[in-house]
Amino acid sequence: MPLRLKLSDCTGCQLCQLACSAAHEGVFNPEKARLRIIHEYTDQGIHIASKHCIFCKKCEEACPVGAISNNGRWMIVDHQKCIGCGDCVRACPKNVIFLDENRKSIICDLCGGSPQCVEWCPKSVISLKETAS
Amino acid sequence: MNSVMGKILTVDLDRGLIRTRVTPREWIELYTGQKGLATRLLMEYLEPLIDPLSAENRLVLATSIMAGTIVSCSAKLAIAAKSPLTGTISDGSVGGHIGAELKYAGYDAVVISGRAKDLSYLYIDPDRPEICEAESLKGLGAFATEAEIKRLVGDEQAKVLTIGPAGENLVRYACICSERYRQLGRGGLGAVMGSKNLKGIAIRGWLDVCVADMGKCLAAAAEAHRHDDIIDPEFDIYEYGTPVLVDMAQESGLLPTRNFQTGRFEHSANINGDSLKALRKNKKACFSCAIACGNYVQAGESTVEGPEFETIALCGSNIGNGDAELLIRLNALCDDLGLDTISTGGVLACMMEMTESGIHDFGLRFGDTEKAMAVVEDIAHGRGVGQQAAAGSRALAGQYGAPQLAMQIKGMELPGYDPRGSWGMGLAYATAPRGGCHMTTYPVAEEAWGELDPFTFKGKAELVAYGQNAQFAKFSMGICDFWPIESETLGKLFEVTYGGRWPAEKVELTGERIFNLQRMFNVMAGFTSGEDRLPSRFHEQTLPDGPPAGIAMTEQAFQDALRRYYELRGWDRQGRPTAETLSRLGIEKELIERYEQSLG
Repeated sequence: MPLRLKLSDCTGCQLCQLACSAAHEGVFNPEKARLRIIHEYTDQGIHIASKHCIFCKKCEEACPVGAISNNGRWMIVDHQKCIGCGDCVRACPKNVIFLDENRKSIICDLCGGSPQCVEWCPKSVISLKETAS
Repeated sequence: MNSVMGKILTVDLDRGLIRTRVTPREWIELYTGQKGLATRLLMEYLEPLIDPLSAENRLVLATSIMAGTIVSCSAKLAIAAKSPLTGTISDGSVGGHIGAELKYAGYDAVVISGRAKDLSYLYIDPDRPEICEAESLKGLGAFATEAEIKRLVGDEQAKVLTIGPAGENLVRYACICSERYRQLGRGGLGAVMGSKNLKGIAIRGWLDVCVADMGKCLAAAAEAHRHDDIIDPEFDIYEYGTPVLVDMAQESGLLPTRNFQTGRFEHSANINGDSLKALRKNKKACFSCAIACGNYVQAGESTVEGPEFETIALCGSNIGNGDAELLIRLNALCDDLGLDTISTGGVLACMMEMTESGIHDFGLRFGDTEKAMAVVEDIAHGRGVGQQAAAGSRALAGQYGAPQLAMQIKGMELPGYDPRGSWGMGLAYATAPRGGCHMTTYPVAEEAWGELDPFTFKGKAELVAYGQNAQFAKFSMGICDFWPIESETLGKLFEVTYGGRWPAEKVELTGERIFNLQRMFNVMAGFTSGEDRLPSRFHEQTLPDGPPAGIAMTEQAFQDALRRYYELRGWDRQGRPTAETLSRLGIEKELIERYEQSLG
């Protein structure tokens, strides 16, 4: 059940990233968000790209210690088991897995089912996509 | 943990030294941030009588308590210095992402002094801010400079402030550009950067911004966004952006046309909200902004964000240009050369009227937009007639014995509202600390487009003073002009981000304090009531069309309103804040003493 972003409507405000870092880390820091809105400035204006979890589960396959699993809707990381090797980071095709200050893997967990990025997007760009897992 | 980063970066370009100092807690309490903090820093570091283009001037960048948080419309960065166009204190704010980025880099403000030996750029991040050589960027346009600085720092996501050739050549209305499509337009702060041999400032940050109470902050921000309808897709600033004002100004007969000779433009429909919307490619927001006023339009090779209403008025109707494509090209040209579109339009219109009225033939008549673009290039590069025009309309018209044709206040060219169609706006212009400015308050909304009579000064001193106080608080606490936020809501958001109790009265008192601090600077820089005036045209000639037709705004009526305004402000007859007033506002004793000494 990954996020769906209709980027043609995205204005690039990054409120989604602020909502994400606030919900998970208790701070405002777009660098700690589990999704990214990327601005590319060109002669044609500003182009917006995004990076977010597509629920491909390649991180789960790559994890050498079985710290990553999923519940059919989002990924789950067991920080007790995570050894901070970074294999998941390298396996992620969207470059959207990060290691935190304690070298523990950080992956979008859809805020446990009610994603704050969806909640805060002022232009209804982000929604949840129902898919067969 | 209250949205203060706690550090101010000081950069000495003379000696190549970068240091930090602790952000004084009492400055946040008294002046909050952004405009207020920048003003306080200039009072700390600047002698008001210095030459604005000398190494003694300081360029101050200041972010706000709200910046970097989830509160909408909060990422604007204040930049301030003594203006080379007016000689007043001058601050502006630039949107995009850079205000939040400075905060994520760990600084509340940056103070830049001196002059680099060679052309340089400044790189700021949390770990190793440094001054870097930039000789290879000499003469480059603002767009290319930004791309090149990103390449030099090796980070596409760095946020960059740049100047174009106009800033390097010290054009007195050179602007500062950011993220390609955003400008800090007014007052010639680009020339201050140029005088410091500073071609750009790149900022990258990754630190946390913490607030007083995260739970309450999220709840209060969500509630405020919803309550004020800024997330409503029907919010007019989202739908059209500022070009929505063209038809309104035309209808009210106050759209500056041909150097403010009239207030209605026969081709306004070619450059109004609908015409520009037809050329729109997409819409973008500044960081954290739920509104998204930014419109990207394209004409030929030129893409611009805008043109905003002020650009449409000054580079459109005011120079007799009713062609949207030419307007967009002129806008893009000014942006890349690093010129303020408002002052540039004002200067061009002044040259056009001087030509048409036989005072001096610049070979430039109303409607000659293609020719005007060649003049604009000359202005930025200091060539030919551009050298004279680079000094601004006041100096240019004065040189040919026609000062009455310069539509300026304190040397700064007027924005897009003819004060004869909104008298309160005239009083606001005359008393704005940085000269002909529409940002200190906006009575045109209540007068021309609201319930109040636009053609009287009755009650306008109160309206203007109150509006200026509220607006100064709003900017200083970190909110963009386009959120019509009440002081009460502002105070609530400040409480959950910074902490403490901030009822509406305290918020507005803070705005009044900051407004008076700027006035103190100007008085110390030699300004008196004589400079709080409108161009004589507005008293001597009436407008021919629309609601203001034939209604005279006399000099006497204006002077009476000004006197009433001074009384209300607690200023003396010369427009100087009294020591009593400054004490009542809680301005620091040492500043009041310095001020009193300077008065002699």
